Amino acid sequence: MSEKLHIAQNLEDALLFRKENDCIVMAGSSDLMVSAYQGYGALPKFDKPVLLIRNLEELIGVRRNSDGTVEIGACTTSRQIVESPDTPWVLKQAAGRMGAVALRNSATIGGNIANASPKGDTPGPLYLLDAVVNVMSLDGGRRSIPIRDFIIKFRTIDLKNDEIITSVTIPVSDKDMTYWFYHKIGTRAANAISKLTLCACAKVSWGEVKDFRIAATASGPVTNRSRDVENIAIGLKFDELAAKASEISGAFDKVISPRAMPEFRREATRRMIEFFIDKVSKNSYKKFYN
Amino acid sequence: MADMRNDKARKDAISKASGRETYVGDLSLDGMIYACLVRTSVPRGIIKSITLPPLPDGYYYFDDRNIPENGRNELWMIQKDWKCFAAGSSGYVGETIGILCGPDRTLLYSLRDQIKVEYEEQTPAVSIEDSLALVGGPIIGENNYHCTVELQAGDGDIDEIMKNAYRVVEEKFSTGHQEHMHLETNGMMVNYEDGKYVYYASCQCPFYIRKSVAGIIGATPEDIIVRQMSTGGAFGGKEHFPDVVAGPLILAEYYLKKPIKLIFNREEDTQFSVKRHPSVVKFKTALDRKGNILAMDSIVYYNAGRYLASSYIVIQRGCMHIEGVYKFPVARTRGYSMATNTFPSCAFRGFGAPQTIFAVETHMTHIAEKLGVDPVEYKRRYLIKQGDTTITNGKIVENVRTPELIEKVCKASDYFEKSRKYGFGSGKGIGFSLYNHGGAFTGNGESAIIKAVVKVCKRKDGTVLIKAGQTEMGQGFSSAVCRIAAKTLGIPYEKVIYKYPDTSVVPDSGPTAASRSTMVPGNLVMKACEELKARWDEADELECEAHYEHPEGYPWDQASFQGYAYLGYGWGACVVEVEVDPRTAETKIKGIWSAHDVGNCIDPLIVHGQVNGGIAQGIGWASTELLENKGGYFKQHSMSDYIIPTSMDLPAQEVYYANEPYKWGPYGAKGMGELVFNGSGAAYVDALSRAINRKIDSIPNPTEVIMGHILHSEKLTEDKR
Ligand SMILES: Cc1cc2nc3c(=O)[nH]c(=O)nc-3n(C[C@H](O)[C@H](O)[C@H](O)COP(=O)(O)OP(=O)(O)OC[C@H]3O[C@@H](n4cnc5c(N)ncnc54)[C@H](O)[C@@H]3O)c2cc1C
Repeated sequence: MSEKLHIAQNLEDALLFRKENDCIVMAGSSDLMVSAYQGYGALPKFDKPVLLIRNLEELIGVRRNSDGTVEIGACTTSRQIVESPDTPWVLKQAAGRMGAVALRNSATIGGNIANASPKGDTPGPLYLLDAVVNVMSLDGGRRSIPIRDFIIKFRTIDLKNDEIITSVTIPVSDKDMTYWFYHKIGTRAANAISKLTLCACAKVSWGEVKDFRIAATASGPVTNRSRDVENIAIGLKFDELAAKASEISGAFDKVISPRAMPEFRREATRRMIEFFIDKVSKNSYKKFYN
Repeated sequence: MADMRNDKARKDAISKASGRETYVGDLSLDGMIYACLVRTSVPRGIIKSITLPPLPDGYYYFDDRNIPENGRNELWMIQKDWKCFAAGSSGYVGETIGILCGPDRTLLYSLRDQIKVEYEEQTPAVSIEDSLALVGGPIIGENNYHCTVELQAGDGDIDEIMKNAYRVVEEKFSTGHQEHMHLETNGMMVNYEDGKYVYYASCQCPFYIRKSVAGIIGATPEDIIVRQMSTGGAFGGKEHFPDVVAGPLILAEYYLKKPIKLIFNREEDTQFSVKRHPSVVKFKTALDRKGNILAMDSIVYYNAGRYLASSYIVIQRGCMHIEGVYKFPVARTRGYSMATNTFPSCAFRGFGAPQTIFAVETHMTHIAEKLGVDPVEYKRRYLIKQGDTTITNGKIVENVRTPELIEKVCKASDYFEKSRKYGFGSGKGIGFSLYNHGGAFTGNGESAIIKAVVKVCKRKDGTVLIKAGQTEMGQGFSSAVCRIAAKTLGIPYEKVIYKYPDTSVVPDSGPTAASRSTMVPGNLVMKACEELKARWDEADELECEAHYEHPEGYPWDQASFQGYAYLGYGWGACVVEVEVDPRTAETKIKGIWSAHDVGNCIDPLIVHGQVNGGIAQGIGWASTELLENKGGYFKQHSMSDYIIPTSMDLPAQEVYYANEPYKWGPYGAKGMGELVFNGSGAAYVDALSRAINRKIDSIPNPTEVIMGHILHSEKLTEDKR
C-alpha cells in the first residue's frame, strides 16, 4: 500500500491514482465514515487506501448543456443542488430533504448514487427523470449508463475498479411535464431516513396523457419504476384516468417488494398514487404536489 | 410570591455554550489507559467458555474470577441481585462478562472482537406475556415476579361492585421500551489517588456509586471518592446505571492502579443500558346507569428485565398513580414487576408514573366517548381535591388547582370549540390529558432512607459555597440552588458558588432523582442559609448545615404501604392538536398547550425549559420512539433508527401556570422535572385517535403503526360529526 490517503489535486490525478491503486473513492464521506467507525476514540477502519475527491472543481456544479439537458457533477452537494436554478423541481425536493443542514453541506450526489441504498433520496427522482450516470477512467475512457442499469441491485453498482463517477445527465426538465409529485415519508421532520418516497410526473396535452411516470424508493431493494404500469395511463384522456386509478395503483403494487413494514408501504404507495392521479385527472392549474 | 426574575444567566450557560465545559470524555491524565466492556451476546444461556486472544503487553482482561477473596460479585442498588459480572450465565444480551484495558483503543476494540464466548443457549422470555407464560421456565422464583404491590382505597367489596354494576368497561393498554438518549453517553474514569479509588463520572448520584461497587473489592464506601463531571443529560439513565460501568472499573483499578477511562459509544449506550419499563395495564371499571364510576380495578405489569435495579419502587409508583388525578369511590390495583431476559429496566423521568397515567387517562377518555360526553367534562367530575383519600389511604394535603389548570389550557387552545368542530375522523384532532407527580421519595423515604444533609459555607472572600450531593445534568439545579441561597442570604447570585459534587467534600443529600432536588435539598439550603445569615458576622469563615426533618402528622407505614405517600404533588394539564395526512398517516403536531402547578418557579426560564423538554420527550415516547426487542435483541441502535423528535417536529409550546406554593419547599417550590413528562403522551394519543377515529391503546405510534390503526383498529365512535 503506497499511501493510506490520497487527496486528489485534479481529475487526472484522481483517475491516475484510481488506476494504479485498488482504492476507495471518498467524496463527502458521510456514508463511508459511518461504515468505517470502530468505536469511541478508535481510528476508522479502511481496508484499502482512500482517494479523496470532494474538492475537485471539475466534479462540482449544476449546469445546463446546449442540448437542454442538465448535468450535475458527482461531487455537487445536496445544498448546491437545491440552490441551483437549473435543478429539476423533483430532484430539488429530494436533495432538500436529505439529513439536516450539516449533512446537506457534505453529502454528494455521486456518493448517494454509488451508495445504492434503497433508502437513498436522490435515486427516486433520477429514475423518474431517466437520468444517465457518466463515469470516467484514465486515458479518456468514458461510459454513460442509465441509472436503472447503473444501480444493478441492492448496494451494487456498475462501476469498474479504475472508474470514477463524474456526473449525472438529466434529460427531462420541469416544463416537459404538466404535473409533478414528490413525497418523502421520513422518520421525522429533520435528519430523517426515508420510510417511503414516491415521485411521479405526468404530461397532459390536448386532453391526452402523453407521459406518465411513477418511481418509488424504500419499497424494494432498488428504486421501483415500471413502464408497463405507466403505459396503462399513457394514451388515456385525462378524464378517463380517474377510473383507472385503482388499476394503476394495483399494478404498481405488484412491482414493489417492501420487506419491512409491508402493509404500510403498500398502502401509502397506493394512496399517494391515487392522490396524484386524482390531481391529474382534474387537470388543474397547479403543477407541483407534495 | 418570591420574585425570581430571569435577569441572570444559568451558572453553566457560558461554559457550555462556549464549549469550555469539561466532560469525562475530555479528561486526560498521565499514563491513562482505556477500557471497554466484554458483553454477552445471547439473551439467556450458560457460558461454556471464554477464549481470549493473546494479549499484548500493557493489555489486561478481568472478570469475576479476579474478584479478591473478600469481594463479592454484586452491585448494590436496592437489592444486590444485579451481578457485576455475568459469571457463567447470561441473563440478557449485553450482560458484562469482563473488562478489557489497554492504551490504544483501536487495538483494544479489535482484541475485544476476537474474544470467543461459547454458550449453551436457552429460550429467553422477552415480553411481559412471555414472562407470565414462563417461557423457557421461570427466570426467578416460581412465577417471574421480581416484586408485587397491592393497594386498595374506598369502602366496599370491589368484586361485588363489578358483579352488580350496570356496565363494566374492560380495557388493556400497553407501552414500549424507551431509551433515554441523553446527548452524552455513559462514561467514567477511575484513578487510584492517595490510597483511594477516585471516580470521575457522568452520573446523577455519586453516593450511589460508592455504595454499589465497594463490596466488589471488599472495600468500604469511604475508600471510594466519586467526583461528578459535567453530565450531558441523564433523565434517570444515569441514576443506577453508572454502577454497572463503575463495577468492572473498580476491579481493574484494584490491580492496575492507573487512570482508566471507559466511554460508551452511541450504539453501546442505545443497546446496552437501562430503559423505561414496558407496561401492560388492564382496567375493569364499573359504571352505574348514568355512567358514573362506581369502582376501578386494575392490574399493572411492568417489564423489569433480568435484575431488579429500581423496579421495586418503579412498580410502586406506577400503582400509586393508577388513579391519575382522580378520586374514585373504590379503587384497587395489583402490580407485578416481571422478570424477563432483556436489559434491566430502571429509572426514567416519571419513574413508573407515565405508564399508568397514560393508561388511566386514555381509559377515562374512552369511557367518556362511549357515553357521548366530552372527555374534559367527564374527567372534571372525578378530580381529586384537598382532604381526599389516595390509594394508599393517606390524604391530599395541599389545595389542588386542577380546575384552574383545565381552564387555562382549554381556553388557550380553544379546546371545546375545536373538540366539537374536528369531531372524529376529520384528519384533525385535539387531545387532552391531566396528570400529576408526587414529589420526592415516597412516604417517609426522605427521613427513613435518605436523611439528607446540606452545608453552606461562607468563605473569606465573601462568597458562599453550597455543599450538597445534588448533581447538575442540564436540568438547571446549579442555578436554581444558587438563586435560593442568594435570595435567602440577600447577597448577589454571582457570590454563590455551586460545584459538581465530590463525595469527599459534600455531605450526602440524597440522589438527584424523584424530582426532589429543589424541593428537598433546595429547602435545606434555604434553611442552612437562614442560619448562616443570622450568624453572618460571627466569623470570616463559617459553615452551617441543615438536616431533613419530615413534617409531623403525615404518617407512612413502609411495611403495609399505607399513609401519606407524597406531601406535595406537581399537577399538570396538557392539550395537543394534530393533523394526520390521510394518504400516508403522517402526523403533524399543530399545537401544544400546557398548564402546571409547580409550587413556584425558582427560575422561570429553567422551568420553561423543563416543560418544553418534558412534553417533547413524552410525545416522543408516545409517537416515534419505537424500540423493538426481537428475541432479546434491541433492533434500533443509533439516533438514526431510534427516532426522538427534533425541534422541527414540534410547534412552539404555550406554557401556563397556576402555582400552589408548597409549604415545605423553598419559596413554595415543589418537584416538577418528572411531572412535565407524565401527561403529554396521553394527550397526543387522544388527539391522534380522534383525528383518525380509531381506538389507540398502545404506545409508541410511528407512522406505520398509525396506518395499521387506520386499517384495522376499532372505531372510537360511529358518529362522524
Ligand atoms: C446523519 C446522516 C444523515 C443522512 N441522511 C440521509 C438522507 O436523508 N437521505 C439520503 O439519501 N442519505 C442520507 N445519508 C447518507 C449519505 O449522506 C448520502 O448517501 C450521501 O449522499 C453520500 O454522499 P457522500 O459524498 O458523503 O459519500 P461518501 O461517503 O464519500 O461515499 C459513499 C459511497 O459512494 C462512493 N463514491 C462517492 N463518490 C463517488 C464517485 N464520484 N465515484 C465513485 N464512487 C463514489 C464511495 O466509494 C462510497 O462507496 C445520511 C448520512 C448521515 C451520516
